[in-house]
Order: sequence, then structure tokens, then C-alpha cells
Amino acid sequence: MDDFLPWVFIIGASAAVVAGLISLWLSLSLALSDEVAGSARAQLDTDARRALLTEKEALLQEIRDVAFEHDAGKLSDADFEELNTKLRAQARHILHELDAGAESFRDEAEALIAERLSNEA
Amino acid sequence: MPALDIPFFGTLVLSLILISASYTMAVAMGAGQGRPHLLPSARWGTYATCALVVVAVCVLAYAFQVHDFRIRYVARYSDRSMPWWYLIASLWGGQDGSLLWWAFLLAGYTFFVTRWLRGRYTELQPWILATLMSVLIFFVVLMLFAANPFATYIRTTPGDGEGLNPLLQNYWMAIHPPSLYLGFVGWSVPFAILVAALITGRLGNEWVRAARLWSMIAWTFLALGLLLGCLWSYEELGWGGYWAWDPVENASFMPWLVGTAYLHSVLIQERRHMMKVWNVFLLALTFFLTIFGTFLTRSGLIASVHSFARSDIGQYFVWYMAFLIIGIGALMIWRLPKLKADNEIESLVSREFAFLLNNWVLLGMMVFVLIATTFPLLSQWLRGEEVTVGPGFYNKWMVPLGIVLLFLAGLGPLIAWRKATGSKLLRALAFPVGAGVAVAVFQLLLGARLGYPPIVEPTEIYDTTTGTVLAWMSAVAPVVSFSTCAFVLASVGQEFWRGMRVRMKRGEGAATAIFRLVSKGRRRYGGYIVHVGIVFMFVGFTGAAYDVEQESALRPGDTMSIGKHTVRYDQPRMEADPNKRMIFTDMTLIDKAGNEKGQVAPAKFIYRTHPQMPTTEVAIRSRPAEDVYVIMSTVDPSTRRGTFRVIIRPLVAWIWLGGIVLLLGAILGMWPTGRELLREETARPRRFRFRFSSATAAVALAIIVATIMAWVGVASAQTDSSSTLHAGSVVINDPVERQLFGRLLCQCGDCARLPLDTCACGWADDKRAEVRELLAAGEEPTKIQESYRAQYGAAALAIPSDEGLDRALWAVPVAAMVFAVGLIVVIGRRWQRRGAEVRTAVKVAANAELEYDSRLDEELERLEES
Repeated sequence: MDDFLPWVFIIGASAAVVAGLISLWLSLSLALSDEVAGSARAQLDTDARRALLTEKEALLQEIRDVAFEHDAGKLSDADFEELNTKLRAQARHILHELDAGAESFRDEAEALIAERLSNEA
Repeated sequence: MPALDIPFFGTLVLSLILISASYTMAVAMGAGQGRPHLLPSARWGTYATCALVVVAVCVLAYAFQVHDFRIRYVARYSDRSMPWWYLIASLWGGQDGSLLWWAFLLAGYTFFVTRWLRGRYTELQPWILATLMSVLIFFVVLMLFAANPFATYIRTTPGDGEGLNPLLQNYWMAIHPPSLYLGFVGWSVPFAILVAALITGRLGNEWVRAARLWSMIAWTFLALGLLLGCLWSYEELGWGGYWAWDPVENASFMPWLVGTAYLHSVLIQERRHMMKVWNVFLLALTFFLTIFGTFLTRSGLIASVHSFARSDIGQYFVWYMAFLIIGIGALMIWRLPKLKADNEIESLVSREFAFLLNNWVLLGMMVFVLIATTFPLLSQWLRGEEVTVGPGFYNKWMVPLGIVLLFLAGLGPLIAWRKATGSKLLRALAFPVGAGVAVAVFQLLLGARLGYPPIVEPTEIYDTTTGTVLAWMSAVAPVVSFSTCAFVLASVGQEFWRGMRVRMKRGEGAATAIFRLVSKGRRRYGGYIVHVGIVFMFVGFTGAAYDVEQESALRPGDTMSIGKHTVRYDQPRMEADPNKRMIFTDMTLIDKAGNEKGQVAPAKFIYRTHPQMPTTEVAIRSRPAEDVYVIMSTVDPSTRRGTFRVIIRPLVAWIWLGGIVLLLGAILGMWPTGRELLREETARPRRFRFRFSSATAAVALAIIVATIMAWVGVASAQTDSSSTLHAGSVVINDPVERQLFGRLLCQCGDCARLPLDTCACGWADDKRAEVRELLAAGEEPTKIQESYRAQYGAAALAIPSDEGLDRALWAVPVAAMVFAVGLIVVIGRRWQRRGAEVRTAVKVAANAELEYDSRLDEELERLEES
């Protein structure tokens, strides 16, 4: 082991040097080009939608938990009704916003399909 | 071996890391400021920087393996006789190397975070990378300008190294520091996510969810590190305890306390969109405390058995901490409008409010520890007087606070979110309260007979009202603690039972119901299991109230009796390896009936490189009811006569068991986080799913392996432990002596001012005899303490006085806690009033969107089936 280990570290360091140089080269070449700008911007567009999806998941979870706590006897019927109504209202609102946000994607998809169909024709 | 100037190459790599990290930070900031095409470039820059850190670590590890003593750090922390595994552990055995190790772990985290971020949190991502790079830059600057691990000797290179400190040459060195560092460094990731959220203004739940997994990982590693530290102390330092409230222990404990508060408080934000400012503050404070803790450890400002040599890196930390305070403070003020709560608290009897109280206790404990840890420094600066704050002070105050926290851990799960109905809450409380009362009554009736009396003898640390109150609080602590443990266990058990019944009503069998209950609510039930782990640990802590210890000088064949045990000294035995000489003393444990119960072999190790520091190897026989802890203080080779100290420590094993349960609960709680995050990313290619699950599994595996290793360490304790701090002979006859000796510091001038309950020098021995005579004459312990103070000065006591500025030590945190609880109630009431107004407003909006009801039901069904 005493003779073997130094070589392990030499090989490890060498591999890391190569990986570092390749990564640095890629980083520099990407910094100097503008090729990925489009996809990066497209990614930004989906962030807002993702936040809404996250919000929806949280609300669904909360609605489920409130029902569970009611079933487990921690919440009275009246409190459950009040909380459940409020949470469902919020969730419906998020669904509505998600639908509204999807309109632009739908229009874009329809335009692409129409273009494709016209090309085939 | 290749001819290479290792020191030069190492320093060159450190410089390259600085350049690469600075470049990456600049590119990432560019990406965050409207040039998104730079983001992939920043990502590759991050990978390059991480690779360079790996190069630096490999170079230093290589230098250790080939004994390149031109490098000062290698010469100071290794020698030619050390086996390869200690040569690897030496990487983090000293200041300079541990900074590189810190950078290495940060690079590891950064690498995984960068992989994980691909395709998600696009707006946050550039700032996350930039922040992580800024933290890395700080550590690289430290290494390059103040603590270079590749620095060489100016003149002659030594032929052999000084060797690693014998205290560090053991099993624990391999797992305790890396685990603790993983916990410390891990908080950089959620902190970076927080900074990104503050800069971009995306302060909804997005950053909270992004930070969740990483904060859980950091918290778990920190908990594991603390637990392993307790084990190390218990088995290596040989003084019979596991936690000494040493400044460095406190430095690790403080971020854990605040991190725990954050993990609870952030649940309120996730569910209720409240407490946004508070959560930002808690997370920033947790990260700050990791840096502050490192500063305490490394600056040498505060004396500690753990601390590194005094160095000038402290000033770098001061500047960095100032930068953090100003930077985060400015960001928070700038973003205050976006940190406004979307909801209000609806009832003071709600889970949210219970979490607020939990935060109150945790932060209160942190303030206590912070003030007590820094008080010696403050006292020195403010009035030029040296004081010491020892375990006696901490234990008196932290035990009641800990029990309050434990009680809240049982109360919280019983209360519903938003609003608990009074009658239902009372019904939920009935069984847990009944269990707590039953245990208290049982202990009051039978405890003394079973060896666990409900009330122990009150011992005062001050001759004042405060001293009397504290003495009584600690006297009744055992019965209160055990009954609170029962309360929490019953509460958690009831939660599982009620949840199971709900599912069984839907037609599921008992086994399916419990499985689905846990698998669909892993975070919640993982948290409950963590609470069970904490209960087990409290059982172990409470056992300390019943410690018994005795010391005897024996010849081979002689026996000593302690409690229900008899210990026979059989013979001394000597062994040697290339690194050290080992003197064992074989002993046999015998039960009341005269049957042999097992063998133990406490020892002394004398290392070749440190012959002046013989280490004490304790022998422990661990059982659930009690540990028999045997220390060989001295042995005379000519007469074979030995002096042995035996401590019976009830219930200690429950601490380690509790730690394992806590870690299992944490792993369970972490698991769904990955799945939930994946659910957000439905458009992600499938291979990512595999990678992320693998990453979660890898973390869990690392924790499990470390736990198993710790367990193996426990099992092999008697052949693998060491101490130089507490070697020698200490006689303690009863708990009153133990507590009083613990408060009096040795004044011989040679030793490190250890308390008399551990210091083995002749001066301490004489002083103990003197104090014992005074106690036998009926003198009050507090009077003896005061006369000791009058004779040797305030610094001779491990407990500051209860007068003047010293009183601030407890008065400030108590006042802060009283003020905070008042504030919480006032704010809670205000929120409650405003909450009623908000509820009305939402109801009106709700009626407009009824058409989404059926879709909502479908989504809920999907959630239930997933």
C-alpha cells in the first residue's frame, strides 16, 4: 500500500488536471460564443411556470394534509370546512394562472403545426 | 517517483484555483445580469475550479505519502513511522491542511450542486454559482496569504516529521472531522441559494424548496459530526463524559441549533407563505455561525482543547464576517417589501405557533451558548479580568431549556396547522399527558428502589436566590426529563396510530396502512422519528444524574467494588508496534453472584514521537442499562501495582442509539425531497431522474456507513482510544465532590487549568484532599467555592460569580428570551386579527373559479396515488 498510494494520488491529480483543462477550455469557448443564448432564454421563460407548478404542488399537499388532520380528529368539521374552502380556492386560482400561461405555448404549437401541415401540402 | 517541486506545484495550483474561481464568479455574475448565454460557461468554469481543488488535495496527499518534509505542514503532522491511513487523516489534522480539506469538501458540494442545477432554477443558478465561488475564494485567499499548506521551511528540512498528535491517531480522526466539516461546509449551499433569491428577488417558495434538500443534508452531517464528537470525547479523552461545553464543541452546536430552528420555521413558509424575513435571517445566521465557529476554532482567541495554534488568520475571518453581516443585511433591507408574508397566523393554538415557540427555545439556547462561550473574551476586553465559564454553568441553564424544547417536540405534532380546536386538542393531549404523569408517578414510587431516584441532591453553584432556583431545577430534572420523554414518545406513537387508523378506515390492512402512511408522508414521519431519536438521547443525558465513580490502587488479584459490580485486576501486559509501546492492564468484571461477566483492558500508549505524552486508553463495557468505564491512571512496572478509576454511567448507550434513530429519521425525511423536486421537473430527461435519486441515495449511504463505522468504533473502544488530558489519579467519592471539583480549576501553573475533577497533578490532588476535609467539616460547597475564588481570583473558578457584570452571563439571555416570548405573543395576536380580514377576502375570490373543482379533485387523486 505504501508504494501504491503515491501513484494513486499522482493518477488522481493528473486526471483532475486534464478534467480541469477541458472544463476551462469549454468555459472559455462558451463565454466567447453566443450559440446557446436562445436555449438559455427559453429556459428562463419556463421558470415562472415552474414556480406556479411548485405552488400548486404545495397547495395540493396542504389540502391533503388538512383532510388528513380532519380525519385524524385534530380539526373540527367547521374548521375543516373553512380551511378546505380557502385552500381549494387558492388552488383553483393557480390552475387558472397555469392555463393562462399555457396559452402562449398553445398558440406557438398551433402555429408550428399549421406551418408543418402547409409544408407537407 | 517523478522529480517535481511539490511545494511550488501545490502553491501554483492554489493560485490557479484563485484565478479560476474569480473568473467563474465574474462569468456567473455576468450570466445573472442579463447575459444568460454565459451561464453554461460559468458552469464549466465551476467544474474546472472543482477539478483544480482536487489536484491540490492529491498533491498534498502525495506529499504526505512520500514524506516530503520540505513542506512544513507535512513535517509537523506526520512522521515516517505513521501508517498510510493516518497519513491520509493528517490532511485535516492541522490548520493549513484542514483549510484545504474544507475547500475540497466545498468543491465537492459545488460540483454536485452544479450538476443538480442543470436545467432548473435558471434565474437563481448564476448567483448560486457566484456565491459558492466567493466562499471558495475566501478559503483559497486564507491559504495563499495566511496558512499555506504547501509552505516550506526557510532553512533546513528535517529528516523526520514531528508526527500527528497522539490524540488524533485513532479511528475517530478518520470520520469525525470529515463529517463535521461536511455539516459546516454543507450550509454554504442553502446559503448560496438564499443569496441568489435575495439578489434576483425571487423570494417565494422557490428558493425554500431548492434549499430544502441541501439544508437537510448539511443538518444531518452536522448532527452526525456532533454525535461522533461526543463518541470521540467519551472514548478517547478518557474523562468519562461526552460533552464538556468546550468552545469548539459550542462552535459546532450553535449552527446546529439555528439550523434546527430554520428547518422547523421554513415549514411555516412552505405551507403558509409566512415568516419569510425570519427564515432568511435564520439561514443566513446558520451560515454565519459556521464561519464564526471556524473563526473561534482557528484564531486561537479562546482556549480550547480542540483549537489549532494561535495564528493571524483570525483577521481574515473578521473581515469576512463583517462582509457577510453588511452584505446580507443590505440585501435583506433591499428586499424587505418582497419578504412580506402572504398569510397571517389564524390561531395562537396552532402548529405554526408551536413552531414559533420551538424557534424561541432554540434561539434562546443559542444565545446562552454564544454569550457563555464569548464571555471570557468580553470580560477580558471590558474589565481586563479573566473568567472561565465551565460545564457547571452550562448544565444548570441548558438542562431546563432542553426539557422545554423536548416538551415542544411532543406538543407540536398534536396541534393542527392553522387552528386547533380546543376540545380536540385536549383529547389529543390526554394519552401523552397520561403517559408522562404515569412515568413520573412510577418513578416517584419505585425509582429510588430501581436506582433511578426521581429527585437528586440539589447542588448550588451560587449562594444566591438564582443559585437556589437553579439547584432545585437540576434536582428535579431527572423526573421531569423522564416524564417528558414519555410524553413525547406517547405523542409520536399516537400520531402514528391515528394516521394508521385513518388509512385503515379506507380499507387498508394495518401493515399496508403504516407503510403507506410513512411512505407518503416521509418528511413528516421522518421528523417524528428524529424526535424519537432525541427522546432516546435525553434518556441517556438524564442518566448522567446517577453516575457513580470510584478510584482504587490495586495489586494483581485485588478487587474493587462499585455499585453492583466488582472489578478484579489480573495483570499488566506490554505490547509494541513501530509507532508506539502499549501497556495494558487486564481486568475482569464480576457480578454479585461471583460469576465472571467479561474482560476489559484499559491501557497507556506511549508514542515514539511524543514519549512525553502517554495516552490513556479507556475500556468500556457498554450495556443498555449502564456503561462500566474503566481508566488505568497509573501502573508501576516494578511492583505491577496499578491505580484505576471506574465510573458507572447509567443509560449512556441510549445516546448513541438515539443518534442512530435520529439519523435514520433524517434520511427518511430527506428522501421525499428529491422526489418532490423531480415532480417539479416533469420535462426533465429521464436520465436526470436516475442521477438525482442516486445522489440522494449516495448521501444516505454515506450517513449509514459513517453510522456503522461509529458503531464499530464503539465496539472496539477499549482497544482504540487515547488521552493525554486526563491521565493520572483522581479520587472522587460522591456527586457533591464531583460537582464542586468540576467548578474549581487547578492552579498549579503547569497544567492547562483543568478542573479538579479531571486534573491529575499533585497540586490538584492536595487541593482535593483539602476541599474534602472542609466538606467533611460541614462547610457549604458554595462557601468553599467563594473562598477558592478569594484565594486564587475569579479565573480559578469554572463558574463566574453571580454579581456585577458576571450576572449578564445569564441575565442577558434570560431577558432576551422573556422579551422574545412577549414579542411572539403580541405579534401572534396581531397576525391573528389580520388573518380574519384576509380570510374574508379570499372567500370572495374563491366563488369565481368553481369550474376548476373537478380538475382539482383529479390532481388530488393523482397525488394520493403517486
